[in-house]
Amino acid sequence: MDQIWAHRPGLLGWLTTTDHKRIGLMYLFATLAFFAAGGVEALLIRTQLAVPNGHTVSPGTYDQLLTMHGVTMIFLFVIPLTTGAFGNYLVPLMIGARDMAFPRLNALSFWLFLASGIFIYTGLALGTAPNAGWFDYVPLALKQYDPGPNIDFFALGLILNGASSTAAAVNFIATIFKLRAPGMSMNRMPLFCFAVLAVAFALLFALPPLTIDCVFLELQRQLGFHFFDVAHGGDPLLWQYLFWIFGHPEVYIIVLPAFGIATSIIPTFAKRRMVAFPLVAMAELLVAFIGFGVFAHHMFSTGLATVTLIFFAAASMFVVIPSTIQIYAWLLTVTSGRPEFKAPLMFIGGFIVFFVLGGLSGIMFAAIPFDQALTDTYFVVAHFHFVIFGAAVFPLLGGLYYWFPKVTGRMYHEGWAKASFWLTFAGTSLTFFPMHIAGLLGMTRRVYTYEPGLGWDTYNLLETIGAFVLAAGLLVIAANLLVSRLNGATAGADPFFGGTLEWTVPSPPPAYNFAVIPTVTSPYPNWDRPEAERGGLVLEEGHETPASTVRDARLEEILDMPSESPWPIVLALLVAVAFVMLLASHGVVAGLFFGLAALTLGAWHLQEPES
Amino acid sequence: MSEVVLPRERIRPSGWWGMALFVATEATLFGTIFGTYFYLRLNTVYWPPPGIAAPRPLWPLVLVAALVSTSPVLWAARRAALRGRVGRARAGLLLALAVQTGYLAFHLLLFAQDLDRFRPEDSAYGSIYFTMLGAHDAHVAAGILLELWLLLRLLRGLTRYRLVAFQVTSLYWNFVNVLALLVVVVQLAGAR
Repeated sequence: MDQIWAHRPGLLGWLTTTDHKRIGLMYLFATLAFFAAGGVEALLIRTQLAVPNGHTVSPGTYDQLLTMHGVTMIFLFVIPLTTGAFGNYLVPLMIGARDMAFPRLNALSFWLFLASGIFIYTGLALGTAPNAGWFDYVPLALKQYDPGPNIDFFALGLILNGASSTAAAVNFIATIFKLRAPGMSMNRMPLFCFAVLAVAFALLFALPPLTIDCVFLELQRQLGFHFFDVAHGGDPLLWQYLFWIFGHPEVYIIVLPAFGIATSIIPTFAKRRMVAFPLVAMAELLVAFIGFGVFAHHMFSTGLATVTLIFFAAASMFVVIPSTIQIYAWLLTVTSGRPEFKAPLMFIGGFIVFFVLGGLSGIMFAAIPFDQALTDTYFVVAHFHFVIFGAAVFPLLGGLYYWFPKVTGRMYHEGWAKASFWLTFAGTSLTFFPMHIAGLLGMTRRVYTYEPGLGWDTYNLLETIGAFVLAAGLLVIAANLLVSRLNGATAGADPFFGGTLEWTVPSPPPAYNFAVIPTVTSPYPNWDRPEAERGGLVLEEGHETPASTVRDARLEEILDMPSESPWPIVLALLVAVAFVMLLASHGVVAGLFFGLAALTLGAWHLQEPES
Repeated sequence: MSEVVLPRERIRPSGWWGMALFVATEATLFGTIFGTYFYLRLNTVYWPPPGIAAPRPLWPLVLVAALVSTSPVLWAARRAALRGRVGRARAGLLLALAVQTGYLAFHLLLFAQDLDRFRPEDSAYGSIYFTMLGAHDAHVAAGILLELWLLLRLLRGLTRYRLVAFQVTSLYWNFVNVLALLVVVVQLAGAR
């Protein structure tokens, strides 16, 4: 078994790997690097705004930093970290599979993602990073007003990034539908997997509008088409429509995996099953679905018809229902269990606090007059940072601690972990809470600097101090995990007595995950039966994993899985070069590289599982 | 309850799921393009703008009928393949491939003729018109490449993997054919 699933040694083994765990780890390291970059950008922004009339960076650089901070955190950090790193590493382990449904496509997702990140950051290295905000509104983003390659880095980079996320979404859905261990019917699937499933579907239907929007923008910028200018029959609002049809589901794409992580951590430390398990599963799917019907609340101040606004305001309020179901389920699970407040659960506590705060300020914006009064002020910045940093990133930090023993086989340092929680909690509150007040006092978002005497000085200084406290907290987490990786106590397979399948395998898991494919009879298989009874299939003949029916998970067939392959990285490289050529307006050369990419795809599929 | 491996009548292979989901996201992509077409149209008084004739129905309709006719051909070819009659499968694929390649060539010719009459740089109408046709042609070209690859593989006989490839390719082509029909309908009905 070890031989069949053995990795090729050395660097080449990593470059050609199709093991979901290795790909997950590569995603983790890459996204953390981008997180660091996005964090430095945030600190520079806050330093610039610490005092009135600041001149830490020039206005042009500030625009680039602001845009890159948003683009990085959303497209290069949160989404690839939640789906790429957590999803990739955990989903097959949680459902009792030996790999993802399409292992090579999985590798392709990662390399395309990495290429898109490097592509966008090349813009920053050349001093021509995207600079029209992460939402990149036209007409500012058109060639007349932004003649450099800045916006082209944005549009082409996001198309590449979207291709990566689409491939990942297809892979997650197919994996969750096909590869669940025998007996894991839909109603026994871990809630984290429900969250990933909801996100994958949301990505599948939300990304095309963004891709098309970016294609339109590039056609207009590079070839002189007319989609967004009124003079030739276009409409600047078209950009906003298509962007937010993507952009609002995106918010739930960001926050749903966090919900999934919360629903993994809470039962373990409360030592009981999740309260209202099916309701929470349904709520996760419903949030992703309703997320598509609320996009125009980003456009309340653009002069749309009142009827349209009211529809979207009502839909926006409706999202509260599934969100609240989950909040109550989390709280009830904790209070009705025997909670043990270890670091991961503390981060989830922080997450709930921030999510309620950010949710409440969000609901205010569903009221149209309130939105029209406060749109584009720091109140909005406060709101979405509580949601995106407080609610989406806190569970990720908790999740880093929670699964660290599983991934490395070692324990983190509990004392320092708790200290890091209090530091990040204090830092987050101090950074983002005063923004509410600054916003109510009229401070507009995206400003480069401000005059003294407007009553904003103290709040801005507090926010900047908070940002550095927060950064210190994050560094403590990084240091804790690094030191524990080297010197931590041995963790064993199941240090927290978690309920889901990933805790039944050794830490770190072997290349084949499960020596014996488990048979599942409940949502928390690790809790209900001793290990000896859990067994089922062995499958030690080849590189194989079982597949089961979509709903009931009856065993259906045995799949021969592809092992390592050089094609994904080659294909990603060719596509990336093609995009660089598009950026440089060398259409023919780009076409040549796309042709080579097609040939690569042909070669990729020459290897058949039976051979 | 014992878990026995029962032979099932219709197992959906992973590849089918992959293509079905890909088709779903591609359908959204084209939905966005169609939506944009009508959005721009409703924002404009003259559609198409003065000086540009509305597209004429004859050739697009004839061409799309020819293209759609490849769906049953592919279906029959796949049936033959499932029964192990690889010769018939190859012949069917070749026929479909010929019709589709002819379609693409003819379509690109019309595309070039249209470019002589008006340009995408002239107006929003031209922009969305040519973008939609271009996106459609790109999908036809991708389908032709898929099928060409499949045909080359079938020259070396049938395997289970190639049968899945066949299933996936036909699914993709059915999707492209529906799209072709929608593209024609949108462009003819939209420019009334």
